[in-house]
Amino acid sequence: MRELVELAGARGALEPQRVTRALAETFARWAAPHSSERAQLSRDHGIYSPPVIERGIELALAGWTEHALSALRARELADPCWVPPVTAVWLAGSIPTAAFSALALPLLAGSAVYAKPSSADPLSARLFAESLARTDPAVGAALAVGGDAKALDEADAVVAHGSDATIAAIRVRVGARPFLGYGHKLSLAAVGPAVEPLVAARRLALDAALWDGRGCLSPSWALCVDSPRGRAAELARALASALEELEEELPRGRLDTAEAAELVELRARAAVREGTRLEMAAGASTWTVALESGDVRPPPGIFRFVSIVPVPDLESLGGFCGPLAPQLSCIGHAGFGIERPRLAELAAAAGVSRLCPLGRMQLPPLDWNHDGQPPLRPLLRWLDQESPEG
Amino acid sequence: MTRAEIERVLLAWIAEGLDAKPSEERFERLALALFRLQWESGAAYRKLCAAFGRDPRGVRHWRDIPAVPTGAFKEARLAIFPPSATVRTFRTSGSSTAARGALELDDLALYDASLEATFRAFVCPDLERIRFAVLAPSAEDAPDSSLSYMFSRAVARMGTPASRFLVGTDGWDPDAAIAELAGTRDPLALVGTAFAFVHLLDRLAERGRGLALPAGTRVMETGGFKGRSRELGREELHDAIAAALGVPRARIVNQYGMCELASQFYEPTLRTGVPSDVKRVPPWVRTRAVDPTSGLDVAAGEAGVLVHYDLANVGSVLAVQTSDLGEMEGSGFRVLGRLRGAEARGCSLAADALLGTP
Repeated sequence: MRELVELAGARGALEPQRVTRALAETFARWAAPHSSERAQLSRDHGIYSPPVIERGIELALAGWTEHALSALRARELADPCWVPPVTAVWLAGSIPTAAFSALALPLLAGSAVYAKPSSADPLSARLFAESLARTDPAVGAALAVGGDAKALDEADAVVAHGSDATIAAIRVRVGARPFLGYGHKLSLAAVGPAVEPLVAARRLALDAALWDGRGCLSPSWALCVDSPRGRAAELARALASALEELEEELPRGRLDTAEAAELVELRARAAVREGTRLEMAAGASTWTVALESGDVRPPPGIFRFVSIVPVPDLESLGGFCGPLAPQLSCIGHAGFGIERPRLAELAAAAGVSRLCPLGRMQLPPLDWNHDGQPPLRPLLRWLDQESPEG
Repeated sequence: MTRAEIERVLLAWIAEGLDAKPSEERFERLALALFRLQWESGAAYRKLCAAFGRDPRGVRHWRDIPAVPTGAFKEARLAIFPPSATVRTFRTSGSSTAARGALELDDLALYDASLEATFRAFVCPDLERIRFAVLAPSAEDAPDSSLSYMFSRAVARMGTPASRFLVGTDGWDPDAAIAELAGTRDPLALVGTAFAFVHLLDRLAERGRGLALPAGTRVMETGGFKGRSRELGREELHDAIAAALGVPRARIVNQYGMCELASQFYEPTLRTGVPSDVKRVPPWVRTRAVDPTSGLDVAAGEAGVLVHYDLANVGSVLAVQTSDLGEMEGSGFRVLGRLRGAEARGCSLAADALLGTP
């Protein structure tokens, strides 16, 4: 592919300090008040409401600074290593900040990027590439956005996001070249006894509202230690109020026919489920809170549908998570106090790769070991050279 | 109206056949009476109606009757009679770990009447009995499959003694099926699942041969693919069947049915002689294509979620919202495909992909 050859030629500009600065400045452009880039994406994205895009980007990029980028690069590339000249990045889903980090990370390592945007969100990758080129044209020349699947065969490394089936198919195609695959995941919120339900509800509502509950970091369930009994019900009531209030500030975006039908089905399933109490936005589909009876694992929520599952104690939370092990990504927690180390143990045993405070589930740091994988190292190769002298 | 009265009126209606004069008034009256009965007798359905702010006082038209999405059949028992009265349970397909939806029946009279009336009208409109070759297991071999029940019932009522089920509990041998089909001199009703037809066609192709089934043969395929074979579009499948089996396109029909409904829908091709992909709706059923958010009909020619109101579903819920996308054409409908978790969902895992739902 001619584009890959051109990209390989352009990677000369990806000198560490220069690319770090260019990326940091680009993130700053997007996070700035009245950012024109953010405004354009908010207007044209089509899936999320403009306030959700504005807030989601502003909050997520707040920590993506030059310092954070430098620290990440230093951590991951501590020793001299081989960096793939060109990495193909296959995007999926609709969350802009996930696209930004997926594009930025190989560039930070010094690899040019050929990116295929997600069909659901063709805009985020293109606008990010344009803003990078405006920040530093030479660095921007090392990022191309296209759709030629031959890049999967010809790039020196591949990063792919998508369903498990997509990831498996691409993995086979990539063969022995460096590969990083991110399948679809689920996350949950965990509320312990040492937090006011009202406080937890506000944080949980933000986690559910940002990206409309579509992301792998969105809370599919909220497990609440129901001790003393009634706390889960209190959390459910407070969450319903918080989601209703947030609807003014961060309105939910559109749902297509299949999504709307999925939500109707989730609501109907909750409505007929034994022991489940349902609260919904009046006359609207914008939010739903289902208070479960405690001995079920309801289907994962999406589109601001949150199931509150009461559990008697922290150990029961582990029991809920265990069977989800291959699919769990993040637990957003509040109110566990001195039990937090035990929560971490249970989370790690369940394959969780990120524990974060409730209210920050959608704001992963740039150096997050996404799905338990280092962000850059799997793309790199090291050669240990031992001297003849020993 | 009592349940017995509803059933008596409905059986008489079904007995009038597919060409009975459509009656909106009759449908409306029965639908509202049945809704009231199901609301009163079905605790889970009443709970769903309450969640959506509906009860019989506010339901004035059959279109207002709250529809139950098929997924809800996995969560709760929607039958309006005690479990001890169940005489038959049909279950949706699915893996052993996933919850499967179920339709329980305490009386098969209406179910059979609806099934037989439509099967005869759309698959055997021209003769009393025909030799069946069934590419699916019998009801004996697959007792919880509504599809197998339908085929077994059709064979019992419309089949000759030479009729055969070519799939057993251990699966099937396509070569033996090909030998059976090749040896027949009588017109056949060759019926079965779409994926079984694909396997048959693939085997014929591997062997580099085709069949010329006797004149008068008709083919009915149904049921989708469910990951059990490569998927073919309806047109492609019917073309391939016509080419490989020597059955004219005007004698190949698709049937659309679902475990949660008592009635089925067919293409009228064998009645009209003209291939059509529009499913006919029996007089005792209504179908709508709706916007799932508003619950209102989509505009003519637009795609919506298919919702069926089947009066023969006396023992559970008459209004069922499918996971199928479709468009209305006259009083019939065209199926456009399954609703799929859209690409735009983000990166979260689809509920269907999550194993281990207890």
